[in-house]
Amino acid sequence: MMTCHDVSTLVSTGELPEAPLVRRLGVRMHLAMCRHCRAFRRQVATIARAARAASLTFERELPEDFESKIVQRLRPLDGGV
Amino acid sequence: MVQLDDTYLGRLRRRDPEALRAVVDEQGRRLYRAARGMGYSKSEAEDLVQDVFVTFIESIERFEGRAQVGTWLFGILHHKSQERRRTLVRDQLNDPIDQIFESQFDARGNWIRPPPAPDRHVSAQEAGKAIQDCLEGLSPSQRDVFQLRQVEELSAAEVCKISGKTITHVGVLFHRARMKLRECLEGKGWGRSQ
Repeated sequence: MMTCHDVSTLVSTGELPEAPLVRRLGVRMHLAMCRHCRAFRRQVATIARAARAASLTFERELPEDFESKIVQRLRPLDGGV
Repeated sequence: MVQLDDTYLGRLRRRDPEALRAVVDEQGRRLYRAARGMGYSKSEAEDLVQDVFVTFIESIERFEGRAQVGTWLFGILHHKSQERRRTLVRDQLNDPIDQIFESQFDARGNWIRPPPAPDRHVSAQEAGKAIQDCLEGLSPSQRDVFQLRQVEELSAAEVCKISGKTITHVGVLFHRARMKLRECLEGKGWGRSQ
């Protein structure tokens, strides 16, 4: 029987998708019964959403000619095909 | 996504401007937001990304096409980032967050301090702003792994390849990053009913 500690660690390390089938089934069963671990999993999902939102903010601050500036810097190195 | 067939790889090796432009278009913004997520300022991140592409072209002969172009570029980004940070910060064997996490369970592995249900009404913008402050509390390695695993959604195996760390180490750093962010966000009142 998996404990809350086992389940939350597997969720948090990101190892769950690669874990053996028995472990994954154990986590699924535990989550079905344990609201605290479900809350923990939701917290982890909230962190993921927040991080992606922050990342979009970073992307929006880029100037439109960002790619062109890189290509310009690469010009002396390209093959000039 | 750019397909890495022989023709495309050949064009990249010949430094065909159109093939290079396609890589820049596909990966440039992604690399920039990763660099920003790793803690670099706007101008540093822009400069870092330009450096990554210069190195990519200079080392393209070594690129065998077995890895995805993105993984290769993120490897260069990681390497450049470590060069810039100069002092290679050793990962701590023990991080205080481990103790905080462990203290939330009793000897049988049950929650002593169960997690509160997260707020459901936090806007994406608000969430993004809050986590930006919290990211400052992560170590450089935790921040890098968090960015690559969580935001770029790279697999643990890809992050191992990029960072040269073992899969267990990547898992530990990801866990510590998430738990530190969780503590920080809880400290800001997330999860408390409004």
